[in-house]
Amino acid sequence: MNFIGQALIDAILLGGIYTLMVMGLALSFGVIRIINFMHGEAIMLGAYGAYWAFALYGVDPLLVLPLLMMLGAAAGYVLFKTTIAPVLNAPHENQILLTFGLGLILTNVALILWTGNERSSNPPYTFASLNFGDIVVPVSRLLGFSTAAVLIGAMFIWLKYGELGRASRAIAQDRDAATLMGINVPHMYAFSFGVSTALAVASGAICSFIFAVTPFMGFDMLVKGFAIVILGGVGSVIGAVAGSFLLAFAETAVAYYVPNGNGWSEAVAFGVLFLTLLIRPYGIAGRPAAG
Amino acid sequence: MPKVVVRVFLLIASVAFLALPFINSPVLNDLTFRICLLIMVAISWNLMANAGLISLGHSAFWGVGCYATMFAANLFALPLIIGLLFALVAGALIGLIFTLLTARLRGFFFAICTLGLSEGLRVTSLMLPDLTGGAVGMFLNQPIPRLEVFVLAAVGAFLCIVFSAFLTQTRFHFACRGMRNHEGAAQMLGVDPRPYRLAVVGLSAAMTSYAGGLSAIYGAYIDPSIAFDLRVTVQSQIAPIIGGMYTVAGPIIGAFVIVVLADQTRVLFGSSEGISQLIFGIILVLAILFMPKGVVGLWERWTSRRVAGSNTPIQHPLVHPKVTTAERTP
Repeated sequence: MNFIGQALIDAILLGGIYTLMVMGLALSFGVIRIINFMHGEAIMLGAYGAYWAFALYGVDPLLVLPLLMMLGAAAGYVLFKTTIAPVLNAPHENQILLTFGLGLILTNVALILWTGNERSSNPPYTFASLNFGDIVVPVSRLLGFSTAAVLIGAMFIWLKYGELGRASRAIAQDRDAATLMGINVPHMYAFSFGVSTALAVASGAICSFIFAVTPFMGFDMLVKGFAIVILGGVGSVIGAVAGSFLLAFAETAVAYYVPNGNGWSEAVAFGVLFLTLLIRPYGIAGRPAAG
Repeated sequence: MPKVVVRVFLLIASVAFLALPFINSPVLNDLTFRICLLIMVAISWNLMANAGLISLGHSAFWGVGCYATMFAANLFALPLIIGLLFALVAGALIGLIFTLLTARLRGFFFAICTLGLSEGLRVTSLMLPDLTGGAVGMFLNQPIPRLEVFVLAAVGAFLCIVFSAFLTQTRFHFACRGMRNHEGAAQMLGVDPRPYRLAVVGLSAAMTSYAGGLSAIYGAYIDPSIAFDLRVTVQSQIAPIIGGMYTVAGPIIGAFVIVVLADQTRVLFGSSEGISQLIFGIILVLAILFMPKGVVGLWERWTSRRVAGSNTPIQHPLVHPKVTTAERTP
């Protein structure tokens, strides 16, 4: 039996989901210049939101996704204004520790409220699959991939043509010049953070029917997300897309072709992280002088 | 307080501290043991933070110490003291290799890599069951010399404190501070960052590894999730922050506060792990937002205000905001 076709399909589907996961991370770094150590927790809360909507009211995770995204954006905006904005001009150390601490709080609130049990929302398509000859395509991953593709496409269009999207790109290029052009920079920061949180929440809602939902899921995804962002080139949105697919391909290849590969594939992200730093520390799409 | 009084007080306190294991009260011993370990880890974290290197992966060094000690004891049947030396060397080696790998990174990127290091080592130790026992873990196959472990912890903490106090008098300390404030400027003044970085991370990693090795002996059992426990990372940061980052006294004060706090939450809320972690998270956020200089900063502000208040007219703090020593030193 030939695994290559199956491995390719798996990697592509996984890559799409990873892309959505890290897009918010890349956006918040590109615009606000802050590395958000609580991004994983936003994913985790999104997953729980979708899970509870399904478990309590039987609502499909994909239907509740827009609502969750709006909630996430609002929460992100408020959180940014209240906690992160005061340390924007403080040393980097404080920003790292602050977002790390916020993540710690969210994880443990989730742990206390919902215990550490693994959960999963089970809409009808969870275990369905399409068969093309030897190749099996799980419907849940296909739906997750399509949703991610739609959202990422929408985000690219927004960044390219939207008024606020253009403003956030302007800030990413040159914060002072953007201020002089009449862009309200503090407001845009909070807004971009809201968008970034909404994207994380959306990827969480997708994860709720693909992976196991636990209070600690965010941390694993955060580390993978960092590996992707560094691989792609920090702050580069295109680089983040390339990095997601590269990591997905590497993980899938390890899982298929290395003995005991399923366990080792968890370590691929760290290998990628250190290899990137050794060979090309500015990432695929970055430039040497950046940072 | 005159300096002599302070010194005599510190001397008495440290002698009492070192003598505590001989009183042989199990509760007190356990408490001081954990305080000693956290003092070492917190000082080690603070040492790196002082050079501008924020670590989110001290559990990596801790875990390396755990496994080095266990390997020495179980695979080579060496005495436990030699095992602890193994931990020191292994920790320093991991620190040096890691620093060489991440030589070009600063700030966020360095922090991310420390996080990656500890998670990567955890997965690796999980996936090598022939060596580490995998998820099953490994038991120490030697009797635990309780008293020696307590004494070694107290001596280790004492040496770390003395060492960090001694460092503040040296060129090393000021070079590190320069690197933290502006690496380029430090280079212009003739400080080559690389050897300093290697030294800081190597020393810091060795300290934490030693503490990890002691805890492995004390618990007599490790598995990957105990060895590379995220809680070590969290506590190693919170202790210096609540005590006062970049100071000698800060990590020590913080270690006392954190261990006592963790104990009290366990008494109040049962063994639910989430509660104490939640409290640590809240402390971390509040301290960064409202008390970035920690307890030491508060103390300095309070004493300088008293000194200043004795010979100047009363000024309302809102009308005449005073620049305190705590704020002046960046």
